[in-house]
Amino acid sequence: MTIPVTVIGGYLGAGKTTLLNRLLADPQGVKLAVVVNDFGSVNIDAALIANREGETISLTNGCVCCSIGDNLALALHDLAERPDGPQHIVIEASGVADPARIADYAASHPRLFLDGIVVVADAETVRERVRDKYVGDLVRDQLAAADVIVLSKTDLVDADACRQVRAWIAAEVPGARVVAAPGAGEVADLMLSGAAGRAAMSRPRADDEHSRQFATWSFVRRQMLDGGALRAAIAALPPAVVRAKGVVRLSEAPERRFVLQLVGRRWSLEPEAGEVRDDWASDPSVIVCIGLADQLEPEGLEALFAATPIGHVPQAARALLRGEGRS
Amino acid sequence: MPGPITIFSARKIITMDPAVEEATHVAVRDGIILELGTLDECAVWGPYTLDDRFGDSILVPGLIESHAHLLDGLLWAKAEYVGPIDRRDPSGKQHKALKSVSALVRRLKEIEAMIAAPGTPLIGWGVDPSLNDLVDPITRHDLDQVSKDRPIFLLHASCHLAYVNSATLELANYAAIKAPGVLRDASGAPTGELQEMAAMMAAIKAVASDLVGASTDTEQFFNFAKVAQARGATTIVDGGGSTYFEPAFLQAALAATGSPDFPVRIVAHNNGITVPKVEDMIAAATSLKDKGNDKLAFQGIKILLDGSNQGFTGRLRAPGYLRTGANGLWNRAPEELTRIVSAMHAAGMQIVAHCNADQASEAFIEAVAAAQAEKPRADRRHFIVHGQLLDESQLRRMAALGISATLFSNHMYYWGDFHRAHTFGAFRAAAMNPAATALRLGLVIAAHSDTPVSPVDPLLTMWAAVNRVTTTGRVQGPRERVSAYEGLRMMTYNAAWLLHRDHEIGSLRVGKRADFTVLGDDPLAVEPMAIKDVPVLATILGGRVFPVAA
Repeated sequence: MTIPVTVIGGYLGAGKTTLLNRLLADPQGVKLAVVVNDFGSVNIDAALIANREGETISLTNGCVCCSIGDNLALALHDLAERPDGPQHIVIEASGVADPARIADYAASHPRLFLDGIVVVADAETVRERVRDKYVGDLVRDQLAAADVIVLSKTDLVDADACRQVRAWIAAEVPGARVVAAPGAGEVADLMLSGAAGRAAMSRPRADDEHSRQFATWSFVRRQMLDGGALRAAIAALPPAVVRAKGVVRLSEAPERRFVLQLVGRRWSLEPEAGEVRDDWASDPSVIVCIGLADQLEPEGLEALFAATPIGHVPQAARALLRGEGRS
Repeated sequence: MPGPITIFSARKIITMDPAVEEATHVAVRDGIILELGTLDECAVWGPYTLDDRFGDSILVPGLIESHAHLLDGLLWAKAEYVGPIDRRDPSGKQHKALKSVSALVRRLKEIEAMIAAPGTPLIGWGVDPSLNDLVDPITRHDLDQVSKDRPIFLLHASCHLAYVNSATLELANYAAIKAPGVLRDASGAPTGELQEMAAMMAAIKAVASDLVGASTDTEQFFNFAKVAQARGATTIVDGGGSTYFEPAFLQAALAATGSPDFPVRIVAHNNGITVPKVEDMIAAATSLKDKGNDKLAFQGIKILLDGSNQGFTGRLRAPGYLRTGANGLWNRAPEELTRIVSAMHAAGMQIVAHCNADQASEAFIEAVAAAQAEKPRADRRHFIVHGQLLDESQLRRMAALGISATLFSNHMYYWGDFHRAHTFGAFRAAAMNPAATALRLGLVIAAHSDTPVSPVDPLLTMWAAVNRVTTTGRVQGPRERVSAYEGLRMMTYNAAWLLHRDHEIGSLRVGKRADFTVLGDDPLAVEPMAIKDVPVLATILGGRVFPVAA
């Protein structure tokens, strides 16, 4: 089993720890390991603590919190090699770290892979920060490294200022995926690939939940997909899509299944590790996208993926699939 | 009841004290200087034993290495030195510089032939191809010539890189490790060069796990001390990464330094590097204050602002690194620094700040200015470590705020040409480590080796500050050369002052500790370019003689 690794970056005080605390409070059943610089900043409910041993705090919900100590690689390798290891690792980068460099650590062990880089930017101060003589270049590098940018403290600025900072980020980081800081119920959807896929497939969101920032859209096809067309469609996904996960069959290798992972601007489509079978034909190809509810356009996505299936689509399947759409 | 009196005679005793600059005899009792002058002047104190084994030698105040790392001792204990710089090991054996890949491979073959057990990894340290005569990369193919079966792991002098052979790559499963720091050839196979910890860790865990994690090995303390003592040091700084606040580590340190045979005094900075919170740093420093012994003391809290200049991670002011304009990495955000510095300053702590390039120094100077404005305090002796690109305007502000520095003078010699060509360009390379300007402005500055980065050798460091010459013989920034007297003072009194120990060590004066370095020649009288070759014959620590193997 491989373990996805998410890096949370962002300058001092941007809101990384708030995000982590929300995630630890509601990991949606994912056995999570959180790697932090300093336990002190993570707000763990004492009732949740099962055990504390040196650099590791074990929680009653199965999650663990580890401090980096003086060697991040060592902390990660330790997690990767635990017999009862985590399903997902989240690293809180220090406020002055370049998250792209921290992300390199996700490739330091055969069992780990980088899921994505989430960078938190303070809506109120980020534009001022990039003009700072000491850290301006660093804050710019942090934003540039982001697969998804979480805009925090949007409640402290008015709507106009919020629009301005979003426009500024769009110009500063071409193709940036910008979301507002997710609430407790949504943070796992954004941060954890496992949770995103499961949550979207097992508990479709109701349309009337207006408070929700994210909506999901799924794409299910019985027939195999064309790899080239699918890759083109993924590359052309609009910035409103912040996460996607899929298991698909491709005509280029019918004996395998392929896994799609997308976090903002980063995505991969790789053959699934494990067994090669010739009876995958009975499994459908499924892709679930999570995006900004107010910007996600199902028709546009539908059109984008229309060219990906190979061959004839039976009428019955069309009827079946019509029911999917935006949920 | 006072102990017996020993009078040491010498050809000349250089006191570095303006009251009496020279003497021929020194009387010592209970580790303290009783008198300095002629034999008659010393004999006034009563019966004595005359020790005249150094009668033809020169005594100077015990030399002080003002910034070094205990890691040096651990590397000598756990790995073979195979670097491009001449270095003496703890037993006194000289290791000749290996300045080409072929010389390295030849030496590794000799070492390999002496390792009996098959499969035991060959671990080396100190490698730095940038200092080779021809800068060729080291590849697994080179190391496979040494052994195809035995894992080989060579740590770069900077500790940021490693070179491994095919056996190590296979053992640690590098086929499955995709970190970008694993360099690959055109075919996609690893070249054997591993850059940064993300790429190195799998190999370290597989073959060199001794090199990570806090070792409580007492040998590391003795190694650290012996290498420095053999080059004349009587006091050395352990510069801040060690974990003395952990009971097992402290116990090991006390056991080693408590031995009568331990040949130097260690002044250890408290750890502000791996301890994240300032309250914890202050608490640890406070609790360690009186936990030392005669040869182990804790002083100052070390914090790290930026990276290293030769690694392109120092924080530079505009226009940044040569050609690219890129900048380095912060270890602490300047605004966090402001809080940390002000908390330590208010708590009465001395702050020791690693600032390699000039923007890091700038941030520290501003933080101290804010802390001083909040709570003015004289004589804290906060100081900058390295401060390589300090300019006159920064030095003047430092003088006004009571900030001092220990400069990395060895850098001009070892990396002066490299900085000129690759990091800073001609002007800034010539401006590095401006000792003369700093002294002219009244700053009390010292200089250091930062071992294991460069070899601990106080006379070489003094020589580097006096001559400012690079390995190719170019003199860079001749106006910043200091006199031999000033150079010796940087390695004695000034260093003692930085460590708040100038009332005890750093010059020879009645009542101070009897710490001397015994030299074969007068470092103030020889040709300036010969200072580094002045023989070190022995050290005397608290009146006890520690010989140096010839």
